[in-house]
Amino acid sequence: MSGAVAGEGAAAATERRTIANGVWGMALLIATETALFGTLIATYFYLRFSSPRWPPAGIAAPSVALPLALAGLLVLTTIPVTAAARASRRERAGTAIGLLAVALVLQAGYLAWQIVLFARDAGAVEPKATAYGSVYDTLLLVHHAHVALGLLLSLWLIARLARGVTPYRVVTADVVALYWVFVAVVGMAVTATVVSAA
Amino acid sequence: MPRRRHRAGLLAVAACALVAGGCGRDQSVLHPESEPAREIATLFWWMLGISAVVIGGALVLLLLGWLRREQPGIPLLGGAERLTTGVVIVFGIVIPLTVNVGVFVVANFVVAQATDAPNPRTTPLTVAVVGHQWFWEVRYPGTSGAVTANELHIPAGTRVNVVATSDDVIHSFWVPQLNRKIDMIPGRTNRVLLESDHVGRYRGQCAEFCGLQHAHMRFSVTVEPPARFRAWLAEQARDRMPPRNAGARLGEGVFLDAGCASCHTIRGTTGRGEIGPDLTHVGSRDTLAALTIPNTPPELASWIRDPQHIKPGNRMPALALTGAQRAALVAYLEGLR
Amino acid sequence: MTALDEPTLARLRTERLERVWAERSGLLGWLTTTNHKRIGLMFFFTALAFFLAGGVEALLIRTQLIGPNEHVLSPQAYNEAFTLHGVTMIFLFVVPISIGAFGNYLLPLMIGARDLAFPRLNAFSYWVYLAAGLFVYTGLAIGQAPDTGWFSYVPLASKQYSPGAGVDFYALGLIFTGVSSTATAINLIVTTFKLRAPGMSLNRMPLFCYAFLAVSFALLFALPPLTVATMLLELDRRLGFEFYDVTGGGLPLLWQHLFWIFGHPEVYIIILPAFGIATSIIPTFTRRRMVAFPLVAVAEILVAFIGFGVWVHHMFAVGLPTITTIYFAAASLVIVIPSGIQLFAWITTILTGTPIFKTPLLWILGFIVLFIVGGLSGIMFAAIPFDQQATDSYFVVAHFHYVIFGAAVFPILGGIYYWFPKVTGRMYHERWGQASFWLTFAGTMVTFFPMHVAGLEGMPRRVYTYASGAGWSGLNLTETLGAYLLAAGLLTMTVNLVASAFRGALAPDDPWHGDTLEWATTSPPPAYNFAVIPTVTSAYPLWDDADRVADRRRLARGEMVLAGGHEQPASTTLDAELDEILEMPSESPWPLFAALALAGVFVMLLTGHVAIALGFGAVAVALLACWHVWEPEGAA
Repeated sequence: MSGAVAGEGAAAATERRTIANGVWGMALLIATETALFGTLIATYFYLRFSSPRWPPAGIAAPSVALPLALAGLLVLTTIPVTAAARASRRERAGTAIGLLAVALVLQAGYLAWQIVLFARDAGAVEPKATAYGSVYDTLLLVHHAHVALGLLLSLWLIARLARGVTPYRVVTADVVALYWVFVAVVGMAVTATVVSAA
Repeated sequence: MPRRRHRAGLLAVAACALVAGGCGRDQSVLHPESEPAREIATLFWWMLGISAVVIGGALVLLLLGWLRREQPGIPLLGGAERLTTGVVIVFGIVIPLTVNVGVFVVANFVVAQATDAPNPRTTPLTVAVVGHQWFWEVRYPGTSGAVTANELHIPAGTRVNVVATSDDVIHSFWVPQLNRKIDMIPGRTNRVLLESDHVGRYRGQCAEFCGLQHAHMRFSVTVEPPARFRAWLAEQARDRMPPRNAGARLGEGVFLDAGCASCHTIRGTTGRGEIGPDLTHVGSRDTLAALTIPNTPPELASWIRDPQHIKPGNRMPALALTGAQRAALVAYLEGLR
Repeated sequence: MTALDEPTLARLRTERLERVWAERSGLLGWLTTTNHKRIGLMFFFTALAFFLAGGVEALLIRTQLIGPNEHVLSPQAYNEAFTLHGVTMIFLFVVPISIGAFGNYLLPLMIGARDLAFPRLNAFSYWVYLAAGLFVYTGLAIGQAPDTGWFSYVPLASKQYSPGAGVDFYALGLIFTGVSSTATAINLIVTTFKLRAPGMSLNRMPLFCYAFLAVSFALLFALPPLTVATMLLELDRRLGFEFYDVTGGGLPLLWQHLFWIFGHPEVYIIILPAFGIATSIIPTFTRRRMVAFPLVAVAEILVAFIGFGVWVHHMFAVGLPTITTIYFAAASLVIVIPSGIQLFAWITTILTGTPIFKTPLLWILGFIVLFIVGGLSGIMFAAIPFDQQATDSYFVVAHFHYVIFGAAVFPILGGIYYWFPKVTGRMYHERWGQASFWLTFAGTMVTFFPMHVAGLEGMPRRVYTYASGAGWSGLNLTETLGAYLLAAGLLTMTVNLVASAFRGALAPDDPWHGDTLEWATTSPPPAYNFAVIPTVTSAYPLWDDADRVADRRRLARGEMVLAGGHEQPASTTLDAELDEILEMPSESPWPLFAALALAGVFVMLLTGHVAIALGFGAVAVALLACWHVWEPEGAA
């Protein structure tokens, strides 16, 4: 079989039958990070089922509605992000950037709101006083860190798509979309864990 | 006088033996002195036998491979792929599975019954042992209220429930000749059964790395006739013997004024320190510093003068005492039987 | 144009490849390299340096224990020695040499590829490994070495009982090395799934590749619990959190569970590459196919998988409910099955083949014997009451040294001899090779076998000294002399290989008549590995002469030479049908810079300057952006 020459790569990309290397890489990174969150969530429940009272005496039960609503919002933002990936595959850079921007605003808003809530609760759920506080704060902080990294990824993708669509940037869009799906699912799992003490 | 000195001499010899390690067998899993330890030892010998067969068989096969290195195929059987795969399945799956299931059932259902934590309802005597860096606090709860350190005494033929925990880091209570080890974890109490018909003294050692002097955290378990045990226990429960002469009173004064009482308890005095071992009957013990040195006047004096030289890193500082003060203190402590 | 003959055409095409793949010379070339063979060698020599450090620590330990009440090391120095010995050997030697040296160098060659899927990530992986190893040893250099054991139980490792920085070097150092191993694992998996030569369907992939695929997946799922455990430890120590502290509702046992959920799969991560090396050497030196090839492949994957379900067998003495311990004992016995399958496949292959007893095979025979001994003592631990006597004694020290040194390191040493001709282009001295094996094997037996007895005689582990009458003196003296013998064996091997690298006979492409693709190219391989992407129609490609003839014809015709850039083919995952031609990056400074920025993060976390650490994190992110500016002309 004669080897294709590099210059035909753009056409070859759309004919690719396999999952792109970059997408594999992100999928595997997501697998390991999911194991990380799984371990943190398991830690939460291990501490919980070894404690007589959860939350311990003196700490109010967590609110349920607002955290779940926020987590739901984050899940919803995966729609514009995956749509942006599809748009970039059809070489519609403008559409893709617009969708990413909308998602970015919502995701940044999510993070900002979470930071405000976190700061407000900081005194009540003191991580240096109880294991409950320690695991509550750590779960949320690690999740928020992943959201922050996602914002940077989205900004990078917007900057690259603004210079035009290439097959490489189409894979980048797929990778970023995959990442946001992971973050949103994890966000829902972390939120569900944390509010389960109510 | 001469008789006591004679007895002291014998105790010193015994103490040296205990510290140095006796005949070299009093910490051996393979010299069991109780039913649980015997069951474990027997289990081991069976497993060793099976292992010898396996390794022997493998060596034979490899030797055959070397002897027959010019000829392909298995001797007498040839070299068909299906046959060789069959060998792998039989020797690699079927036989190991069968042997493993056998070992598993015997070990974890039969033997484990003897080694599992005892039901408190079946143990007439309970002893609480608390691990510290690097000594063993031993308490006999109940009416006696006896407290000692680094040695347990138990009556022969009696099931004893040892309740183990820790005051600081994780330690492990292990008397190989009497039973399995049990970890001592802060915030948690674990139980292990000690029972032996055989009067004697058995050595234990901390079996979970616990810091600088983990190597010097040993203890002894004395199994004695019930009458002698009861006498020992009654003695340990009493407050200290009041000082009977000026020298001993001077010694007690040194204990109370030189700082010892901030770490050590001697019941009957105002000394109620909780950091170091209880010294109320320290004179009755054969060894010091968790079986690190024998309990003789020169060794005790040496310890008090410079504990860090003998057990570097332990919590006891060298006290600024004059020779006379130290001698008085040693005499006083040795008198606390 | 006159028709050129085959050899001339071949030469012209390889000259073009040489020009495209020419590597920058000098130090700058090594600092910016992304070539898997160069990176493999960097991993190799760095890992050997750590092996030396860990070995010195071992000899210090053994010398301190040569007799009772010795004063070679203070208690503090001894505790640092055994802690560093474990940490170094496991995290800084055996895993990096396996996946970073052997995996990196050989995997692309064995699958007919020209590089890994992510060459710059590969370089990053190395620089992070080097930085992390130096980070841990900086602790030793400033007198703050870790001293709580390689599994560092709490509360001993808490701030209260370990106020110094040693535990912080340990905890942050392990997270740091984990970044390197994770990156390599991702790289090896994607390479295996995407870059196999067309025709190398999954069932034709060498067993070596199955082992490394299993290891890589195991790493991805085993490292996160360790990261969590050490992160929580640092939060407790530095910020006063209450994960492990009883006074705050925390649990010391939480550490043990988290650590061993990582720790048990880690030991299979340690041994699986060795299985892969053994299954590479055996067919070559027995001159026959591996018995039960599919069973062995499945077994290698099963070991990695089942290894995640047995961790509590490290905690049988902790006082857990009986039902829990019984479940985990049963699961631990199940793992014997895939090990047994592989063992008997190897033994049967040796028995039914016509073995050549040269140095590489000798190391594998030693491995088989030592693995059986270590495996049998391991099975004994599944008998819970026996475990409760033998755990934390020298019996378990014997067990794990048999399986780690005997079963993981022996194949590595054999593999070094086996692939020495390929990597250096020279043959080693055979007689001295055999001598080095026998010395090391004897040393291993003399050092570690008596430890079984010492443990059963009641000697606990991690003791800096012991009493003179305990009955352990003779055993310890023997073990120490054995350790010196073992060291002599390794020294012999080192001298042999160093001398042979400079003065050994020149090696042909295929000195052993091997069956895998690395033997199809020159010794050492050129930067582009293969002038033509090899034709593969079976699981033993080098034993298919027709395919190798077809390669030469294709080279002459210019088929699958791919000299238009740094090119290699990507194929479908299951059947390896050609999918596209990829252009790979070449030299780049970004991996090194990003690793340095990451090092800045960890150093600042160690010193407690969290804000500056975040600053370095921002720099690392910016460098990642620079890294991703380069795009291949074709697809990703």
